Amino acid sequence: MAAGTLVLSGAASPLAYAQGSDEIRVGVVGCGGRGSGAAHDCVNSSPGVKIVALADSFEDRLGGLKKDFNVQDDRCFVGLDSYKKLMALDDINMVILATPPGFRPPQFAEAIRRGKHVFMEKPVAVCPAGAKMVIEASELATQKGLGVVAGTQRRHQTEYVETMKRIHDGAIGDLVSAQCYWNMGGLWVSERQPGQSDVDWQIRNWLYFTWLSGDHICEQHVHNIDVINWAFKDVQPESVYAVGGRQYRTDPKYGNIFDHFGVEFSYPGDVRTISTCRQIEGTANNVSERVVGTKGWSDCCGTIVGENAWRYRGPRANSYVQEHTDLIKSIRDGKPLNEGKQIAESTLCAIMGRESAYSRQQFTRSWFMNRCTLNLVPADDLKLSDAMPVPAVAIPGQYQLPGFVREGQRGRG
Amino acid sequence: MSSQTNNTSGTNGGALAGAAATAAVLGQMAYAQGSDRIKVGMLGCGGRGRGAMQNCLDADPAVEIIAVADLFERQVKSARDGLMRREQNKDRVKINDDHMFWGFDCHEKLAACEADLLLMATAPAFRGRQLMAAVKAGKHVFTEKPIATDVAGCKEVMAASKLAQEKGLAIVAGTQRRHQGSYVATMQRIHDGAIGELVGGQCYWYGGGIWFKGAEKDMTELQWQCHNWYHFTWLSGDQICEQHIHNIDVMNWCFHGPPKKIMAVGGRQWRDSNAEQVNTAKEVCRQFNNGSEAGWEKYNGDIWDHIYAELEYPNGARCLSFSGHSPGTQRVSERIVGTKGTSDCHNSIRGQNAWVYQGKDIDPMVQEHINLIASIRSGKPLNEGQRVAESTLTAIGARMAAGTGQVVNWDWLMNECKQSLVPSQAELMAGKPLYHPIATGRDPLV
Repeated sequence: MAAGTLVLSGAASPLAYAQGSDEIRVGVVGCGGRGSGAAHDCVNSSPGVKIVALADSFEDRLGGLKKDFNVQDDRCFVGLDSYKKLMALDDINMVILATPPGFRPPQFAEAIRRGKHVFMEKPVAVCPAGAKMVIEASELATQKGLGVVAGTQRRHQTEYVETMKRIHDGAIGDLVSAQCYWNMGGLWVSERQPGQSDVDWQIRNWLYFTWLSGDHICEQHVHNIDVINWAFKDVQPESVYAVGGRQYRTDPKYGNIFDHFGVEFSYPGDVRTISTCRQIEGTANNVSERVVGTKGWSDCCGTIVGENAWRYRGPRANSYVQEHTDLIKSIRDGKPLNEGKQIAESTLCAIMGRESAYSRQQFTRSWFMNRCTLNLVPADDLKLSDAMPVPAVAIPGQYQLPGFVREGQRGRG
Repeated sequence: MSSQTNNTSGTNGGALAGAAATAAVLGQMAYAQGSDRIKVGMLGCGGRGRGAMQNCLDADPAVEIIAVADLFERQVKSARDGLMRREQNKDRVKINDDHMFWGFDCHEKLAACEADLLLMATAPAFRGRQLMAAVKAGKHVFTEKPIATDVAGCKEVMAASKLAQEKGLAIVAGTQRRHQGSYVATMQRIHDGAIGELVGGQCYWYGGGIWFKGAEKDMTELQWQCHNWYHFTWLSGDQICEQHIHNIDVMNWCFHGPPKKIMAVGGRQWRDSNAEQVNTAKEVCRQFNNGSEAGWEKYNGDIWDHIYAELEYPNGARCLSFSGHSPGTQRVSERIVGTKGTSDCHNSIRGQNAWVYQGKDIDPMVQEHINLIASIRSGKPLNEGQRVAESTLTAIGARMAAGTGQVVNWDWLMNECKQSLVPSQAELMAGKPLYHPIATGRDPLV
């Protein structure tokens, strides 16, 4: 009953946009660097877009956008539940979700429940439970006619799009191998302040806690993993085997995440791929993707080498803006894009890689989706003032992957 | 130490090299008759050394073990006694007391004896100088893999291999897949184009873990390090070099040579949490530090527990090398990917030219000795020195790429890299232990 009602109410809004006159009224949830960037990109992408409400865990994070877009005080919300208050505003028809990824599943589910179109930053979860919440909510979004676009901007970058079309049309033949990398230096750190609570500090320093960022394989490398999934037409890898560790970046201010991962994904047909990511200052950079087929290979972003050699020579747009242009156009055309499942699946791949590295065990995607009980979704009543010891850095042999039973122990169930 | 080892005139000097070459050629002629005995000396009497001796004895009835050498006296004696006890070895193990050598210079003493063929299975750190001494003395060599733990060691083996070529001496390495019928037949097809152009591949040696040895009461600290050699990079080359070289060597075999470029990540994530190992390291620490446990960490070894490397071959193919240890998981295999199919490299091809190996192999650890001896007899000695040095250097290059966080190029490794981890012979004789810090993941590239 309830679902049917929602479908009807959802169906009305795309029609209204189809007139071309209606405003896209946007609430921003998560007003840090990425949220602010996305808000400006969104406004610059299309006419008739306004930022009309803001939410963040911390009051001091609201200032920039509040000033930039002249948002009224009573439309600025603070605290871990601020997103609920923002999404309760009826005049908002779209939200930008850019809080730490650990919060994304409940926030995305709430946005869809409230009938908002969504632009959400990647990754969209940090655990299989969260990824499944996102997949379910995006199915609901389809039913309700809501647009969902994720911040995996390569999917909206012309040279990628044009190259991928050709790969899908067989320009390099059948895919037999692939590689992707996000190897780079470090990122910012938010040092702990005197008197700061555990949860407050961890959220401000969220990159370095698995429950918040998903670790850097999830937080950054998901971009490249997503490109490889895209090359495989979003058919998902069947299994994973990974290693990783925290070798150089060991100071406690870096929380409990690793500083490097090496992952092998096996796609259907036993196509095995290389995937590495590293955050160690002063090491060799490499952020790229490469797919190899029976007739050639491609860098996925403008070059094909082999029988059907080709180079992209067209215009290049800012993909961080383009993703918003595409989302808003799709909404106004009444054919809303929905990338929810796709980004949840790429996120899930990254999570699989991380968990395989933490445990140093190989497992299948089907096991991970259906049997792994890992759930890092924050409790609904989490408070900024809460105590929360930093979870231990994963040590293979000691780390328990919930639900995992080793080969030899399976009989004992 | 044996004083009865000076029974052969010195082995140094250029004049002697020519004489040795002549001796080697005469040796080949003698073997060609099929009746002459092949006198074998063994260097390194641990598990692999004893295994190699038996493999060699099983390979050919003409083989006779006449000398044994090891760092430790008790190893030498127990190896001899063990071999002699076996009924199958009756009359073929004739090791006189003056042909048992021990100490850090035992390889020099062994090279000076009348053996035709030396088997080498000590920790790999010393292989370069051992091999050079053997070749200079005109010996054929079977050497276990890997053949070095650093770049300097690889180059020494390359030089010894070149010298062996000039002198008509054989060098066969314990990368036994190269002598395994199923691998050889499969590789032949891959090289003949059965899977098309090679565009990718994977190789793995991931296992559960390895022994960690405490110190015997009478050991010096350096002797203990050598006894527990696997855990020190300068002695073993780390696991990627010591074990995974087998699989890397298969990749290099597929591509007819080493990669041009290597990228890698890796680290040591769980070894310091291994309670049993930590307890042993603390015991060792107490033994060498008047009962104190302060600074026990250095006794816990410096090797990593995982390296994930990408080997890029000259044709642009990027292959995965996946190695390490951790409890409760395992994968040891190779796979090569071409434009027309794939292969496991050791008995099947999938794709357009699908094929399955039907032959029966004998133990490749014996086969390698059969091939070695046959090549000596035929006067066309096999020389795998350069090749196994390249595969060892590939593993070392990957270890360096992971340890420094930098991309390592083959040309740089061969021409510019200054890496040297192993103490000189004089330093070893002086007996000072050697500890390198654990690699950080962003060490300087030297």
